[in-house]
Amino acid sequence: MPPALELQSVTVGGRQRPRLDGVSLRLDTGEIVALLGPSGAGKSTLLAVANGLLPPDKGSVHWQGEPVARSQRLRRRQQRRIGTLWQDLRLIEELSVQQNLNAGRLGQWGWPRALLNLLLPLESEPCAATLRRLDLDPALLDQPVSALSGGQRQRVALGRLLRQEPMLLLADEPLASLDPRLAGELLALLLAEGRAPRALLLSLHRPDLLAGFDRVVGLRAGRVQFDLPVGAVNPGLLAALYAGEAP
Amino acid sequence: MSTAGPALAGGCRWHRWRPAAPLWVLLPALVLLPLLVLLPGLSHGGGWSLVGQFALAALRPSLDPLVLSSALRGLGVTVGMALLGWALSLVLGLVLGVLSSRQVWRRCSGRLWPAELIRRLLALPRSIHELLWGLILLQLVGLQPAVAVLAIAIPFGALVARVLSDQLDALPSAGLEALEAAGVTPPAALLTALGPPLLPQLLSYGGYRLECALRSATLLGVFGLGGLGTELRLTLQSLAFRELWTGLWLLLAAMLLLEQLVGWLRRRWTMPARLSLSPQAASPHRHAAVNGNASGVGRGGRELVLAAALLLPVLVALAWGLEVDPRSLLRWQPLPPLPPADWGAVAALPWPTLVANTLSLTLLAAALAVGLAPLLLLLVRPWPLGRAAVLGLWALGRLWPPPLIALLLLFVLQPGVITGALALGLHNLGVLGRLLLESAEHRGESSEQALLSAGSGPRLALLYGRFSALARPYLAYGAYRADVILRESVVVGLVGATGLGSQLLEALSSFAVDELAALMLVYAALTLLGEDLSDRLRRRLLAG
Repeated sequence: MPPALELQSVTVGGRQRPRLDGVSLRLDTGEIVALLGPSGAGKSTLLAVANGLLPPDKGSVHWQGEPVARSQRLRRRQQRRIGTLWQDLRLIEELSVQQNLNAGRLGQWGWPRALLNLLLPLESEPCAATLRRLDLDPALLDQPVSALSGGQRQRVALGRLLRQEPMLLLADEPLASLDPRLAGELLALLLAEGRAPRALLLSLHRPDLLAGFDRVVGLRAGRVQFDLPVGAVNPGLLAALYAGEAP
Repeated sequence: MSTAGPALAGGCRWHRWRPAAPLWVLLPALVLLPLLVLLPGLSHGGGWSLVGQFALAALRPSLDPLVLSSALRGLGVTVGMALLGWALSLVLGLVLGVLSSRQVWRRCSGRLWPAELIRRLLALPRSIHELLWGLILLQLVGLQPAVAVLAIAIPFGALVARVLSDQLDALPSAGLEALEAAGVTPPAALLTALGPPLLPQLLSYGGYRLECALRSATLLGVFGLGGLGTELRLTLQSLAFRELWTGLWLLLAAMLLLEQLVGWLRRRWTMPARLSLSPQAASPHRHAAVNGNASGVGRGGRELVLAAALLLPVLVALAWGLEVDPRSLLRWQPLPPLPPADWGAVAALPWPTLVANTLSLTLLAAALAVGLAPLLLLLVRPWPLGRAAVLGLWALGRLWPPPLIALLLLFVLQPGVITGALALGLHNLGVLGRLLLESAEHRGESSEQALLSAGSGPRLALLYGRFSALARPYLAYGAYRADVILRESVVVGLVGATGLGSQLLEALSSFAVDELAALMLVYAALTLLGEDLSDRLRRRLLAG
């Protein structure tokens, strides 16, 4: 089976101070990989390259064994299989929970359904099922997302991702601004959803949360410092990765 | 926690029908449907070849030195009138704005009624369009360069005064109270506590008014008050399209230059953007928090003083060059013998029809302008060339005074409310479209990116991602614009049967003073009512 994601010698940014410098990374289906590194290491840039938002200046990106398509239409079709959970969630504050969940379907939907969803939110049952799966009350479907608590918002953002039915999950520091309990709950959900047939690449700042991952990729100054099974990551490696900065 | 929700238990989902924010932005565009049905019936069959010639002439403007120098001279006069009228309106607005502020009167004398009285008195000059001021002054003192300047300065001054006093009264008074408690005199305390937070907003609004002044000066020209507008109308009416385009391209260059300059200064002096019309968003404190740049304030302040110092001699030179003589305004010319007032005939005017026509014209034009801008932006989203074409169309719409658009439309359409509304709508589409584009650059970008990265098409990502965030402020601005359109509806009166506007122009040209007075009063009342309604709607939209 081709890898869910493969980056080969990816470079982004100028020669003086590249944001990513010859990064190679492979993520097989069913794998759950953590991306560790200090601030400014290039984690967000790597995820933006991985979801196709940022084309690399050098190197190549493959999704499910296919190179990123040149034509916009084909690339969009590829991107529908890649779901990103953003650190700032990027929910649409003015819309209801259900409309936000359905925003994950926009890649599949044509204009009529997309417009109708703004008039009468569609697919109530699948949306309710998504909320239940995330341990949220389906009665929230009609609520505007601006009325939700922080933890609920995180779950709705994850719900939008699941509605997209992606094969590759990317998450950009989703635990950064959460209290320990919420962070633990969200991580458990992500780890459960990231297993085969999917794959999950999650950037984080906290080495104490690595327990459920298969592999850890250490990124520093735009370069891969190490790429090891989680059991092989020792305090010495972490200390070198975060040298000069508290993890 | 995970129980089936009551919202899903019932079979009926109809109660959930409610257009979401991005749809609100598009709903006004539904006005296109009846328009498309009605338009073929309005066409009088001829004139398409003239429109074709007009469009072709855009590519071949006349470069004859005589035409060019005449157009340049006209542009100079228009820009001069705009600058002088604008400067005078700022001075008037500043003085009257402070005088009509409740905060100022409460602090300085403890009484509120003078502020209220001045506010009410200012409602009248504000509600009458600069064109009417211009035409009335023209009747009284004859064709003088000072007429256009004063015609711009009176309503603009009253508008600036209202905006200034509203903002003065909306500012938090904690700093002011602290200064007063420390024994500072009220005028000094007001200046110290309220001046700095108010200045960026006032400058931003002033810049916007300068753009309006250029449009107004062109418009006044169309009605014979001199400058490029007069040339434009004469060349259009004599079907000299190549000469017409010489003037139009020059005007476009001047307008774009001015817009760029104002935009550049706005960014340089960290002034609030124009769409931040909400009381909260426009709050100087929030603005300072966003743009907090202490060193920028000092530099901006010095540059501001320098700019004002440079502007003053320019204005004096302009007044000298254009021979603007304020004394000429006092030399009234003898009016022709007026017949005795006939109030019976005035009462017999078809008032309900006149008012209804004016209102339908306003609503139609506002819906066209508000709805078409986002629709066009959405349609051309994937194509950079299409976007450039739409931007060009908007720039031409802004620049082209509505009566000229109306005259052009008359080549192919019959006169009437719809023709007038189309002219006003296309002009305001240019204004609103630019504003929408400016603000779309700053709002909802990350949501749009998130949708794009999940494989949404560019149009749907724009609709869901950006228009959601833009809906409320954009429609609030649309409500304000509808109020402007109501006031402006008089300028398309020349295409006939447009309600109060055409009746007013008729009364003016036939010296029917009684009818004129009654029409102006009704118009003013309608405008003030519209202003109140649009304010309420705006507040509601922004309060969310």
